[in-house]
Amino acid sequence: MGEIAIATQKLTRTFGALTAVDGIDLQVQAGHFFGFLGPNGAGKSTTIKMLTGLLAPTSGRMELLGLDFQQHSIEVKRQIGVVPEGMGLFERLTGGEYLRFVGRMYGLDRSTTEKRSEELLEFMQLADRKKTLIADYSHGMQKKLALAAAVIHGPRILFLDEPFEGVDALAAGALKALLGRMTERGVTIFLTSHVLEIVERLCSHVAIIHQGRLVAQGSLEELRAGVAGSAGETKTLEQIFLSIVGQSGAEQSRLEELTWLT
Amino acid sequence: MADVVPLPGVLAQLRLIAGLRWTLLRNGLQRKNNRWDLVGIILAGVFAGILVVGLSAAFCAGAYAILAKNRAGWMALLFWAVFLWWQVFPIFVAGFGANFEFKTLLRFPLSQRAFYLLGLGYGFADFAAVAAVCWVAAMNLGAAMARPEVLPVMLAVSVLFVLMNVTLERLIGSWLERIMAKRKTRELFIGLFVLSMVSLNFLNPMMQRYGMAARPKVLHYLPYLAWLPGSLAGRAVAGSVHGDMRATLLGVAGLVVWLGVTSGFLWQRFAAQYRGEEISESAAPAPAKKKTNGSVASLEAAKAGSSNEEWLPMVPVTVAAVALKEFRYMTRNGMAFLTLLLPPIMVVFFTMQFGKGSALREHAFNSEKFFPGIMAYLILILIMPAYNSFAFEGKGIQTYFMAPLRFQDVLMGKNLFLVTLVSFELGLSLALLMWRVGWPSPSMFATTIAGGAFAVLGQLTIANWSSLSFPKKMEIGKMKGQRNSGVAVWTAFGVQIVLGGVCAVIILAGRWLSEPWMPAIAFAGLTAAAVAGYVASLAALSRLAERKKELLIETLCR
Repeated sequence: MGEIAIATQKLTRTFGALTAVDGIDLQVQAGHFFGFLGPNGAGKSTTIKMLTGLLAPTSGRMELLGLDFQQHSIEVKRQIGVVPEGMGLFERLTGGEYLRFVGRMYGLDRSTTEKRSEELLEFMQLADRKKTLIADYSHGMQKKLALAAAVIHGPRILFLDEPFEGVDALAAGALKALLGRMTERGVTIFLTSHVLEIVERLCSHVAIIHQGRLVAQGSLEELRAGVAGSAGETKTLEQIFLSIVGQSGAEQSRLEELTWLT
Repeated sequence: MADVVPLPGVLAQLRLIAGLRWTLLRNGLQRKNNRWDLVGIILAGVFAGILVVGLSAAFCAGAYAILAKNRAGWMALLFWAVFLWWQVFPIFVAGFGANFEFKTLLRFPLSQRAFYLLGLGYGFADFAAVAAVCWVAAMNLGAAMARPEVLPVMLAVSVLFVLMNVTLERLIGSWLERIMAKRKTRELFIGLFVLSMVSLNFLNPMMQRYGMAARPKVLHYLPYLAWLPGSLAGRAVAGSVHGDMRATLLGVAGLVVWLGVTSGFLWQRFAAQYRGEEISESAAPAPAKKKTNGSVASLEAAKAGSSNEEWLPMVPVTVAAVALKEFRYMTRNGMAFLTLLLPPIMVVFFTMQFGKGSALREHAFNSEKFFPGIMAYLILILIMPAYNSFAFEGKGIQTYFMAPLRFQDVLMGKNLFLVTLVSFELGLSLALLMWRVGWPSPSMFATTIAGGAFAVLGQLTIANWSSLSFPKKMEIGKMKGQRNSGVAVWTAFGVQIVLGGVCAVIILAGRWLSEPWMPAIAFAGLTAAAVAGYVASLAALSRLAERKKELLIETLCR
């Protein structure tokens, strides 16, 4: 068994009477491309926020790269990169200014920050918009910039909340290639996406959260093995997902209510 | 296959839109944060009612008096008042943003004619229009009481005048909508608007100085106003009173031409919107891409950043990064720029009003009083944003919590920038004061500088606490809802009253004891204590930021 990059024990977060994340025990090995799935409101973003220091857990423990998050938050943050929900950009800066700002905030020296900023802008095809404010970027461009900012300091774990949403197919292809190369170099990528085809293609391991509880965790093969199917049939991730969260067939009965439309 | 249902008529669509606007208002008031807005709306409604009813009585009495005293030529003044109100008031409120974008209705199956009529109807559902229509109706009532035989012409003129006004207002409104839809033009518009409001302060001194000289020029251009709607309406009514059919026809014809021209332009504007004119904010077009390869770009970047020197060598990297970011944000915030212009403008204004060579010479202050007084006022203006210093961060606030740093670095970066800015502004204002008022005594100069330092540094700790505890999101380029939280405002006032009181007591004590240097020394000591308190508070504020993290993110990322 390799090094554990992310481990949680009974991680819980409540908002008043609502338990958004209910005692989850996650284990992600270093170098894995890990997909974190769940229906809307299942607790995915809350979990990512806790794992990246944007939200304090109500109870439970989190260890990243062997360090307790609560006790070594600055050391942990130094080694992780995040594309949070909403992207967290300063919209009144230009893309270059923002990358340089983030680089400096992560402690990179000036020349390294400058060099990496230029290279990342070039890679993300944003270099020709040097004077454009982020506020004037399209959604996809903002997403690419947020991803560039998340990797500028060379993190060992990368948290991505819906990274491909709004990104065009060309850029998405380049990003996937980049992320693939990063995992080859031992970077752990923790990704949430509603597009199950992307997760299936990129991720080697998956966890599924439903109503705040972790209902499945393992490699894709392990999940397939756990879901009953006819002999010889290879289940897609979508089928596995629907089977686990118990929604398969539900849409058929709902469609029957819309006879005036269907 | 879904059924295709017949479309509702224009009247039914108007009713639907009125219902939609009401629902938007009602739902908006149901939000917890907007309960106080409801109180504000009720109060505003009461004041608006008093304004409309009171001025309706005034317009009725005015029309009656003018016609009864056979001074029908003066009716133009009443029409001019309504015209100016109807066209200018909506521009004043435009900066505060509309809740509902009219053109969003285009997603529904509307004909261009229906869209145009709905647009005009939308123009009538406006406070300025409702008030103006009430006043025109009141003028008709006054006219009917004074000279019943004028009523047919008065009614015809009023209808034309009202239609022309609503059309012109919608035309200006649709252009404003276009301007306000784009960030750059919106910010420029609001900047110019606020600057013009500030400039109004100079009207009185300018009138006192140049009013008499300008009078002949104003009178020279006055006849040209005869071809504008207010004068034309007045001329038509006056012609009817004096039996001058030619004047009446000319006035009515002029209004018809105005109505035709504005309707034509408005039809064109609405047609452009109807065809799908894109006026919303979107990604700026990319400039023509220069052919560069990665290695060249990297080389250039490496060259640009070859020096590893820090621009603020004594300051930690993260603190300097935040200070630089604050500087960049300020240069892109038109309102912040105006705040910077305000101190020198206010110095010039106050010295024009009260200083040497002013019209109010008998109230002229000497520089001994002027110096500390105006510095206190300027500090009041400049330090206020520090009480809600995360207001413009938006979603970027997450970056501070994701980055590996102690939050005190963020606070120090912001404070460093603020202190630098305040120092620059006060220096500039001091230079202006020396030019306009003259040097104070050396002891008063030192007292003012040391007192200013104490007042600024003494507030930073509490301002940081207020920013973390009572954050309120604000957006650059918007005016609606752009205010600090009430607690932050009262905290700021409370602190400033206490500090102002302390400063006043120290300055008065110096005078009473005939020790002119004593206040400066006392302020220097207090400044040192304020700095020590500030440094000691940073760790506690970092812990507070961690506790308030969720509140900050939730409030600012909304």
